[in-house]
Parts: sequence; C-alpha cells; structure tokens
Amino acid sequence: MSADLAVSTTHVVIAPMLVALVTAVATLATRRHDRLQRALSLLGVGAYAVGVAVLADRVLSGGTLTYQLSAWPAPFGISLVADALAAFMLSLAALVTVALLVFSVVYVDEQGQRVSYHPLFHFMLLGVSGSFLTGDVFNLFVWFEVMLMPSYVFVAFYSGPRHTAAALQYTVLNLFGSALMLVSIGGLYATTGTLNMADIARRLAAPAEFGIDPAPVLGLSTILLVVFALKAGIVPFHFWVPPAYRAAPAPVSAFLAGVTKKVGIYAIVRLYFTVFAAGAVEGGLGLPALSGESFLAFFGPVLFAMALASMLVGGVGAVSRDALDDVFAYSSISQVGFIVLPLAVVATVSDPALRTLGVVAALVYSLNHAVAKSLLFLVSGTVYDATGTIEFERLGGLTTRFPVLSGSFFVGSLALVGIPPLSGFFGKLLVLDTGGRALAAGTPGAGLALAGALAGAIFTIAYLSRTWSQGFWGEVTPLVEHGSQSSVLVGVVAALALVVVAVGIGFDPVYSFAESAARAALDTDAYVDAVDPGVVARE
Amino acid sequence: MTQVILAAVLGLLFALGTFLILRRDVVRVVWGVTIISQAANVYLVTMGGLTGQSPVLGHGGEHPVACSVPDAGAECVTDPLVQALVLTAIVISFGTTAFALVLTYRLYEEHGTLNLGEVTAE
Repeated sequence: MSADLAVSTTHVVIAPMLVALVTAVATLATRRHDRLQRALSLLGVGAYAVGVAVLADRVLSGGTLTYQLSAWPAPFGISLVADALAAFMLSLAALVTVALLVFSVVYVDEQGQRVSYHPLFHFMLLGVSGSFLTGDVFNLFVWFEVMLMPSYVFVAFYSGPRHTAAALQYTVLNLFGSALMLVSIGGLYATTGTLNMADIARRLAAPAEFGIDPAPVLGLSTILLVVFALKAGIVPFHFWVPPAYRAAPAPVSAFLAGVTKKVGIYAIVRLYFTVFAAGAVEGGLGLPALSGESFLAFFGPVLFAMALASMLVGGVGAVSRDALDDVFAYSSISQVGFIVLPLAVVATVSDPALRTLGVVAALVYSLNHAVAKSLLFLVSGTVYDATGTIEFERLGGLTTRFPVLSGSFFVGSLALVGIPPLSGFFGKLLVLDTGGRALAAGTPGAGLALAGALAGAIFTIAYLSRTWSQGFWGEVTPLVEHGSQSSVLVGVVAALALVVVAVGIGFDPVYSFAESAARAALDTDAYVDAVDPGVVARE
Repeated sequence: MTQVILAAVLGLLFALGTFLILRRDVVRVVWGVTIISQAANVYLVTMGGLTGQSPVLGHGGEHPVACSVPDAGAECVTDPLVQALVLTAIVISFGTTAFALVLTYRLYEEHGTLNLGEVTAE
C-alpha cells in the first residue's frame, strides 16, 4: 500500500477543520467588502456542514478513520481520530452553527460584522472541530486555546462597562484553567511517557509492562477534570457562565451554550470513558465511600455530586432571574447537570449494556440541549432586536404581537421540559431510564439520581413557565407594542423549532447514531487499534 | 539538588501567582495569571527530566534514547519533546496575556477604576 493512497482515503477527517480555517482566513482577507465577506462566511458554514455530513457518513458506514499528520506513525506524530463519537459531536455543532451564522448576518450590526465577527466565528468553529477530532492530549490543549481566544473577544464584543468586566472575569478564569491543563498534561507525559490518547489507554491497561504508577495518573486526570468542568460550566466551576452569556451577542451565547459547553462534555466522555477507563489503582483508593479499583469508580461519585449540584444550583438560579438571557444561562448550568448525571451513574456500573445506555442518554441530551438552548438564546436575541429589551418588567404580551416567535419559544421550552414528541422527551426519558435501571441493578446512589433528576425537571418547568407568564403573556407593554420583528430572525428561530420537532418525531436514526457513538466511546480497544500506537513495540 | 531547588522555585511561583490572583487590583490579577502560566511552562520543561545529553547530533545526541525511558543507560539524551511543547505554550500565553492587558486598559477606560470591588459592584 503506497503512502499517498493511505492519505487520500482518510483525508476527509481534516475536511471540517480545513473548511473552517480557510473560511476564517478568507473572511479576514475580505473584511473591507461587506457583501463578499458575508457570502463567503455563509458559503463556508455550508461547506462545513457538507464536510461534516460526508465525514459522518464515512465513519458510520466504514468505521473509525484515523489521520496521522504528515504520515508520522502514532505515537510520534499527532493523530486525528474520527470515530462515531467525534462524528456525532461534529454533526451537533454543524447543525447548530448553520442556523447561528444565518441569524448573525442579520442580527449583528454592520460595524460589528465588518470589524471581526466572521473570522472570529470561524476560528471558534475551527477550535471546536479540532477538539472533537484530535487524538493527542497536548493537541487538545491547543485546540481549546484556539476555541477560547475568539470567545474572549466575543464576550467583550459590545465593549460596554458590563461586557468588559464579564470578559475580564471569563479571560482570567480560562487562563488559569489553561495553566492547570498544562500542568496536568505535563504530569501525564512524565508519568505515562506519551501524549497520544490511544497510547495512554494502552499503557494504562498494562501499567507493569510500561513501568507506570497509576496513582499519580489518577491525580493528574482529576486536575484535568477541573479544566473540563470549567469549560462545561458544571458546579462548582459555573460562576462565569451567567455574566459571560449575558455579555456576548445572542448568537454567540447560543454557540457558547450549545456547542462550546459540549466540548467539555465530549472531553469528559472521551478521556474518562475511553482513555482513563483502562486505568485502575491496585488495592483500591483507600478513601471513604469510594470502593472499587478502576479510575471510573473514583470519577463516578465525583461527577455525581457535581451533576446533582449543577441541577439544583442552576434550577434555583434560573427561577429567580429577571431577564431572558439570565434565565437561559442558569438553565444551561442545570441542563449540563442532566447531561453529566447519566455519565456519573454508569461510571460505577459494570454492566456494559447499562453503561452504553448512560452514554447514549448523555449524548442525546447534549443534542437536545444544543438545539433547544440555541433556539432559546436566539429567541432572546430576536426579542431584543424587536423591542430593545430582555427584562421581564418591560416585556409582556409578546404572544399577541409576535405569535410565531412566541410559538417557537414555547416549542423550545417544552423540549427542555421534555414533553413528547419533542427531542427533549427522549433525552429526559433516557436519563430517567438509566437511573431506573441502575436502581433495579442495585447501584448505590441511583435513587438519589432519580430524585435529583425529578427535582431538576420540576425546576425546569418552574423557571420556563415563569418566563412564559412574565415575558410572553400579560398586557402588551409599550416597548412590545412599538417593536418590529425581522422576518429572517424569526425564520431562523422557527426553523430551529422545526428541528426540535423533527428530531423528536424522526428519533430512530438519531438514536442509532448516538448508540454507535456511545459504543465507540466505550470501546477502548477499538480506539487503540484504530490509532495503532504500538509501532515501537512491534519493531 | 537541582531538582529540589527547581521544585521549591516552582512552588514559590505558583504560590506568588495565586496570591496575586486573589488581589483586588486588576493589574495584579493579570500579573498573577501570567506568573502562574510561566510557572506551568517551567514545570512542563522539568517533566522531561533534568539529566542527560543535549539531543543534538554532534553535541552528545548520538544515542537517541531519552533518559525517561527505563534502562536508558548513562549516554541518554534529555527529552526534547517537552521543549517543543513549551514553545507552543509560551506563544499561546504570550497572546492571551497581551489580550488580558488590553482588556485591563479597556476596563479602566469603561469604569475609571482598576479596583475589582468597585467594578463588580456596578
């Protein structure tokens, strides 16, 4: 087999990144030509969606694709791995991003678009795609930085007093997170002798053979968990979420909540369920209330506590806010709790079918949250565009003035609550199913998980119905009376509402996609085989 | 001995950075973050091991076995990978520090103060 043939068949792996990079540079070069820049930007995001679709199709039909940069064999070069999990997350990102960019072209003012909006947006997308595809922990750090830098600028985008304060907090916090990530990656390299994720998994599975002490790896991966929890906004690392989402432009808040948070979730699934799952500390951890030798036996309870706290803190916070964006920001903290909860429950079970179910639940819930929460942030953006405010006390009667917009909000909230036949119903169902089966199997804490999920669901109903009755019902306020909506913005919002309905009605293919993604996430051996880092041992 | 000194210096740097981050003055906070990321960089370099020959041909790098590999022998070379990593990390932290400083100036323009207590109260 010639080397160039091998490269050409796996080239599709880098297609999403390449498209995002080229578009970012092209929109930067054409920033003096407004129309051309916007056309290129829209074309780029369309090409991105096509690239992701082709990649997902290849991966689902032909199995995991691995691209070794410059044909350096793993673990020496950087590996890019497109398995079903990466394909699922990329599809989620592509689905949301297309809607967000169309929205942005109309929503963001001329000056803002001219300055930097489009290049930054595509660089952010590049960072997200790179994070999903990379198979190297240091490379993951680099892609995180690529993703974060545009988001710093976006939080400061409107550069008012509130925005600069939020941006400074967000930037400093993430710089600290980056330093932590660097520390844990350096430590992982020193203890395992490699940075390639598949190689780390391979070495952790046979620690004696490679001379690795698993105990420090557990500690270092815990530091890494802090970084991922910070990115995903899980309690107790959630406090940056509300000010940052409030400050960023509405489509960017939607991107941060819908896609960037999922990068944190993806990293948790990929590293803790695929890579570190292979590790075990001999003789147990010696900590109270934590039994079992596997790394996951430690991370399960930790994630469990964080998920429960997220659902409750986010829920309580959302009930007491008085502006659309604030409610949605706290709501996304609570919803991330719902995503992490099934992961935490199945981390400690040994039944492979139940573990797969838990990961499927997390992935389906991620998809639902990505689409529904983006929809809600776009509703907030459209309301602001139409009336100039998102404060409850100055809103009212939106249903009579803007029925389509209000209807879309209603669909999005029902999806978050989990009403059939919308996408959220299956997300909630799978989460509760995971809890129920774990309870039946006698997993400790499963009852608490179910109770927490129910409490979280009640909070969701409470804060969304409060938003509905205070903002959308009631007497028409002067601002709403004199407001005028943009038909493109409402069109995008309505289209996302249709996606929420469509995902719920045509749920079968979504489920099978999520199931193959979950299988790929849990099959460490297949991941290691696909990357093939054993070149040293073989020669 | 070098290891002990380096470990102590790293600990001091992390402590100093943490102390500065907890100040109210924004400039000190940015300094704190900068010091912590530089400490992380130094830490990263030490992760390749401190002993060994220079990994350059003609300067003792003729035996390309890193000292971190078990039973590498006395002729082993220092692991060059961490140095490549740290270059990337330095470039990234340079960019983000510059951005944080610009943001600090912008914050001063918007709020007329660098005291975080007054900024968040607003």
